[in-house]
Amino acid sequence: MDEKTQPADNLVKELEERAKELNCLYKIEEILNHSELSFEEAFDRVVKSIPAGWQYPEITRVKLEYRDKIFTSENFSESDWFQNCEIKVNNNTAGIITVFYVKSVIEFKEDPFLKEEHKLLNSIAERIGNFILHKETFTYISELQNKQDTATDEQKQKWQVVLDMLRKTDKPLFNTIIRKLLHNLCWQEIKEAQQLLKEAGIEQKSDNDYDDDMFDENKPLKKKSVNNVQFANTVISLADEYISDDEILNKLQKWIFEDKCSGLVKAVETLETSLNEISETLRKYYPLISNGDLSPSIEKGLKVSLIRRFFTDQTEYISIAKEFVEISDFYELIDRIILPPKSYGKLGGKSAGMFLASKIISKKTRGSDKFKNIKIPKTWFIPSDGIMQFLHYNELEEVIEQKYKEIEEIRREYPHIVQIFKNSDFTPEFINGVSVALDDFGESPLVVRSSSLLEDQFGAAFSGKYKSLFIANKGTKAERLSALLDAISEVYASTFGPDPIEYRAERNLLDFHEEMGIMIQEVVGTKIGKYYMPAYAGVAFSNNEFRWSPRIKREDGLIRLVPGLGTRAVDRLGDDYPILLAPGQPNLRVNVSFLEKRKYTPQYIDVIDLNTNEFETHKIRNIIAETGNEFPGIRNMISIVKDNHITQPIGLNTDYDNDDIILTFEGLINNTTFVSQIKFLLETLQEGMRCPVDLEFASNGTDFYILQCRSQTKSREIQPDPIPRDIPRKKIIFTANKYVSNGKVPEISHIVYVDPETYNDIGSKEELVEIGRAVSKLNKILPKRRFILMGPGRWGSRGDIKLGVNVTYSDINNTSMLIEIAKKLGNYTPDLSFGTHFFQDLVEASIRYLPLYPDEEEVIFNEPFFRKSENMLKYLLPEYSHLEEVIKVIDVTQSAEGQILRILINAELEEAVAFLNEPMKNKISELDTSEYVEWQPSSYWQWRYKMAERMAELVPAEKFGIKGFYIFGSSKNANAGPSSDIDLIVHIDEKNTDIEKLNLWFEGWSECLSELNYLKTGYQSEGLLDIHYVTDEDIKQRTSFASKIGAITDPAKQLKLGK
Amino acid sequence: MGDKNFNAYQMAQSQFDKVADILSLDEPTRQLLREPLREYHFSIPVKMDDGTTKIFKGFRVQHNDAFGPSKGGIRFHPMETIDTVRALAMWMTWKCAVVGIPLGGGKGGVICDPHNLSMREQENICRGWVRQLAKNVGPINDVPAPDVMTNAQHMLWMLDEFEVIHGGKQPGFITGKPVGMGGSLGRTEATGFGVIYTLREACIKNKIKIEETTAAFQGFGNVAQHALQLYTKLGGKAICVSSWDQKDQTSYTFKRDSGINYDELKKITDKFGGIDKTEAKKLGYEILDGDIWIEQKVDILIPAALENQVRGDNAVKIADTVKIIAEGANGPTTPDADKIFQEKGIFVIPDFLANAGGVTCSYFEQVQSNMNYFWTKEEVLTKLDNIMSDAFEAVYNTAVKNKLYMRDAAYVISISKVAHACKDRGWL
Repeated sequence: MDEKTQPADNLVKELEERAKELNCLYKIEEILNHSELSFEEAFDRVVKSIPAGWQYPEITRVKLEYRDKIFTSENFSESDWFQNCEIKVNNNTAGIITVFYVKSVIEFKEDPFLKEEHKLLNSIAERIGNFILHKETFTYISELQNKQDTATDEQKQKWQVVLDMLRKTDKPLFNTIIRKLLHNLCWQEIKEAQQLLKEAGIEQKSDNDYDDDMFDENKPLKKKSVNNVQFANTVISLADEYISDDEILNKLQKWIFEDKCSGLVKAVETLETSLNEISETLRKYYPLISNGDLSPSIEKGLKVSLIRRFFTDQTEYISIAKEFVEISDFYELIDRIILPPKSYGKLGGKSAGMFLASKIISKKTRGSDKFKNIKIPKTWFIPSDGIMQFLHYNELEEVIEQKYKEIEEIRREYPHIVQIFKNSDFTPEFINGVSVALDDFGESPLVVRSSSLLEDQFGAAFSGKYKSLFIANKGTKAERLSALLDAISEVYASTFGPDPIEYRAERNLLDFHEEMGIMIQEVVGTKIGKYYMPAYAGVAFSNNEFRWSPRIKREDGLIRLVPGLGTRAVDRLGDDYPILLAPGQPNLRVNVSFLEKRKYTPQYIDVIDLNTNEFETHKIRNIIAETGNEFPGIRNMISIVKDNHITQPIGLNTDYDNDDIILTFEGLINNTTFVSQIKFLLETLQEGMRCPVDLEFASNGTDFYILQCRSQTKSREIQPDPIPRDIPRKKIIFTANKYVSNGKVPEISHIVYVDPETYNDIGSKEELVEIGRAVSKLNKILPKRRFILMGPGRWGSRGDIKLGVNVTYSDINNTSMLIEIAKKLGNYTPDLSFGTHFFQDLVEASIRYLPLYPDEEEVIFNEPFFRKSENMLKYLLPEYSHLEEVIKVIDVTQSAEGQILRILINAELEEAVAFLNEPMKNKISELDTSEYVEWQPSSYWQWRYKMAERMAELVPAEKFGIKGFYIFGSSKNANAGPSSDIDLIVHIDEKNTDIEKLNLWFEGWSECLSELNYLKTGYQSEGLLDIHYVTDEDIKQRTSFASKIGAITDPAKQLKLGK
Repeated sequence: MGDKNFNAYQMAQSQFDKVADILSLDEPTRQLLREPLREYHFSIPVKMDDGTTKIFKGFRVQHNDAFGPSKGGIRFHPMETIDTVRALAMWMTWKCAVVGIPLGGGKGGVICDPHNLSMREQENICRGWVRQLAKNVGPINDVPAPDVMTNAQHMLWMLDEFEVIHGGKQPGFITGKPVGMGGSLGRTEATGFGVIYTLREACIKNKIKIEETTAAFQGFGNVAQHALQLYTKLGGKAICVSSWDQKDQTSYTFKRDSGINYDELKKITDKFGGIDKTEAKKLGYEILDGDIWIEQKVDILIPAALENQVRGDNAVKIADTVKIIAEGANGPTTPDADKIFQEKGIFVIPDFLANAGGVTCSYFEQVQSNMNYFWTKEEVLTKLDNIMSDAFEAVYNTAVKNKLYMRDAAYVISISKVAHACKDRGWL
């Protein structure tokens, strides 16, 4: 845009204009929020507030025409310079609003009004329309209410009055009610009614051939019944005669109510309605719903539709959410959504997870006081299409193509994109929404988080890939608003950053349109000195993928706990250590010795500095010295080190300046319900969400807040790998079936193998020490994270270094995996260390650990491979060539003709396998031909989809009488997992189909595919196909699965049949 | 297990044999000192947190108590072997003897991995250990101390159990207790100061004025810090110190030719001995490669970091100006490097002697606990100075008189002392 070239004062002027417009919109919003105001009062105020928002307030005049009334601003007169906008209620024009400039202004060109002013007027008109609709509905309801309240002895009159009113205002509803009334009379076996019904039926039938002579009809009623008024009156008088007034009134209410709700159901179910309209409809009908009792089926249908529209089409999510979510939850939710105009977006994975988690907790813990201090921070949402509207509004659409560029180019251009985004505008409607949200938040610091749609679909963890931004939210309203908008645009920009794009490219997700919802969340915490932060925060997992002791089970979970903001617990920083804890075994600690306990504690803390308005990292000891007892719950968080002794502070004697203080959270762990509460929370959520969960939390010292909750299996890093069964034995290097923890290991090019037997035979301490030094040197020269270290017993032994190679963490910090081999020596099997000597360093650097028990049955350990492969040690480190017998360095690519070592880990199956395999990069596009290549989450559905296509192509359609072949469910929606079915709908010609033969045909496929899937993934199932046959009749009736064909949401996809 | 493989006990015995040859000890003396006097092997049943019961194997080896109650740590280690414990007990005997404190050598342990145990389970192991041995240990028999994977907390549990069994307060039963709970002041300084006390004496013997010397330190942990503190206080000029950088996972040498100011450097050092590089630069320190400390043109080298830091490959780089090496760390020198020292004529204060300040302070803790009267820090350090100086004198004289390398002299004097004590008691 040309903004940059404009002189500075012009820019200032423009900014002032934006602020004025905002204020105006804001004011009007405020007026219209008072629903108790009469139309006259409200409109009178509205027209008076408008001029201030226009460029030249002193010459601005406003006229609002509503029905037959006219409202005008002060000193009203008309002129030739005007703009106007119709006020629509339910798509009918109800009025018009016009803005005039009463005097010519020099700058006037053809259109004296700014582009923004046109938009502003549109928004105002729309808002007024909504106000009218809301108010009319309200009047209508209260009229009914009044009638219900006042009439006791005039009941008869009352229900008739209602009917009269309906007759005048809502003919279709009136007819429906008359018909229902008649049916009701018939059920009560009222003869006249039955007669009437019969004739009405005949009457209807004869409608088509009106001129026919009805020779066998002689009842005079027939002709009269053509007259609807007469018919209705007859029904009414019958009802009056046979049904009590009370009953009629009750029924009337129920029918009217159901009819109204059907409007809501319709609105929600139709995909054409925008979220804005849904929100409005929900607001409108909510008083109805909350009073009356909806029939369970309508209620369920409504819930499902709402979940689908606001969150996701994923059936898994819906089936869980519908059990916990109430319609009232949505009523509350819509007040916290910043809707771009005509939004069709969704709120994204993170928001969906949070929403569901909060509902599960509130439902599951009703009546229990275990969760009484558990809260959810105040949150506002922006749907996923906000970003698209932002791009359109600023004409930035071309940025979308960014993802197809070379990653280097993306990296280079990204900073500019961020700048462009930050200098772009939001629509006034959007700004208004954000402004309302900001008022709701007040001045507490905020975090703007991304909530990606891809996140909940593909098992792809985008956490940390997109930005989360903290803002201090201090200053004037205008300053705060601009800071918040700035943060939103920066989060939007992060969609086009190199990291997420690269990540998506790796997972074959580039072509999926990434739309990103946003969550604006209050930062949990308190003001401590000049800082704002939670007392502590962290992440908790249902499954522990970093077990430091064989006594810890996977289900014992894991907590990563830090002081201050949770960023340091979520990310792995390498040089700082959160406190790790297994909630199922809180007493088995990672760090046990004095030195470990002292070293592996948090050293830094993330805070928001309220003076600088910045997110900052500080040394924890400085913050503690600065804040001391002001820090909430500090005494439960710290320990004091004195004379090689670690103690808990007691009383007030802690000297925060001079004592040697470390963060251990001992008090919190031992003296509070913290651990048991998290454990219970994880269990509850796991049960509710039917999968292990991953939870972010924070506490301000008194209350415990859940910040995020999602399925743990969604994060890629710990997704179990499929374990193929058809790897040729000779390619397998080793397998493991004990203490396996999920984790991804990249392709391995080098193996450093310290032979357990020859190591044990070493006679001198000096030589043992040398082994460690050689490993350290190899660690420096081998390709980082592309080699694995395999050695006997306990890596990192000190003193008794015969038990394992004497190394420190820095000697092994470039390996991708550390393997300890428990090889039987004589009659004993050595006890492995589980990496405890530097366990937490391994965790923070994402170095995987695996114990091997080569002597156990059913375990493969390919000793010949280690023996026969050429030892590269003498070339790499000639000075250590005398250690050749002990240390083997194997260049896998060289020894295995271009192959690499692939390590697949699956903790669910408790299995890991390392085998020689083709490197991935050459084969990325030929999924179905490449053997044993690691399956990306995307390959599960791609393979299934491809197979379905093949089946459609190959099935002898004519012979079997197949008319159509459809796929639906997870294989179509790209969210199939390793154990998913393939759901198919086969449209058959009932008469020409030999179902038995067809079944046989599919069964064969089903078995074969199941076996293939087992070989690829290790997941077993009885057949992989789920076939549903439908007939012409089914399709016509839209029964069961036939309804999937051509459905509005999530339709089945037709596949091409072969000849 | 083959003969070749490394066994700490066999190594300790062959080291003893070598010195026994020098001393021409008679066969019974060799037999007595080659093996422990007493060993206890026992089982400790512990009720685990999950309700099961587990049996842990415990040991205590009292190698020799001719000079006084056995003294030595208790180790918790999953792969503990009796041979390791025997070797360590023997080394304790020699270590106490070299500084001439009236204690014997012992060591003990439990086969367990505390990483797999809760604190409660560890407490039960500690109390179980004491219950099994209550009659055989104590202030007048055998005094345990912290060691691998045990710390002050374990000592306090053990002391408590011991006192409950014996029905009285006996803080002298165990050492390594926190100050105020029967611990001694001066413990943090003891090892580092001890190194410098012996260095000071070595300078005198070698006719070097310590205040005119320059030194390079490896490491900036507890030992190195206090050694540097006392060395500069005595007037020496420390020109460089190498320290480990946790973030970069490597070590750096911090060098300033005008000399290091201890207080100034300490202020920019974290709890783990890591020095802040940016701050150091501001103070005028050069930041060099971590290995460069050994090549400095100084009079004195003080390796006070980890074992095996001075080896054949880097000992050749030692400047010709270097006259004394004081081993602050445990086993910082490999045998290859020892040969180079001897060729270059460098005077070595062996680790065995130089860092004996720690065990001496443990002895002081026991003494103070027994009389339930605790000294000031100055008192502790003065007494430490006396003991260390005397010990150095004795080793030095032995070396000169018998033309022995200092390292050998230290062994010779301690083994001969123990042999004498056994003879004097009429055991031999």
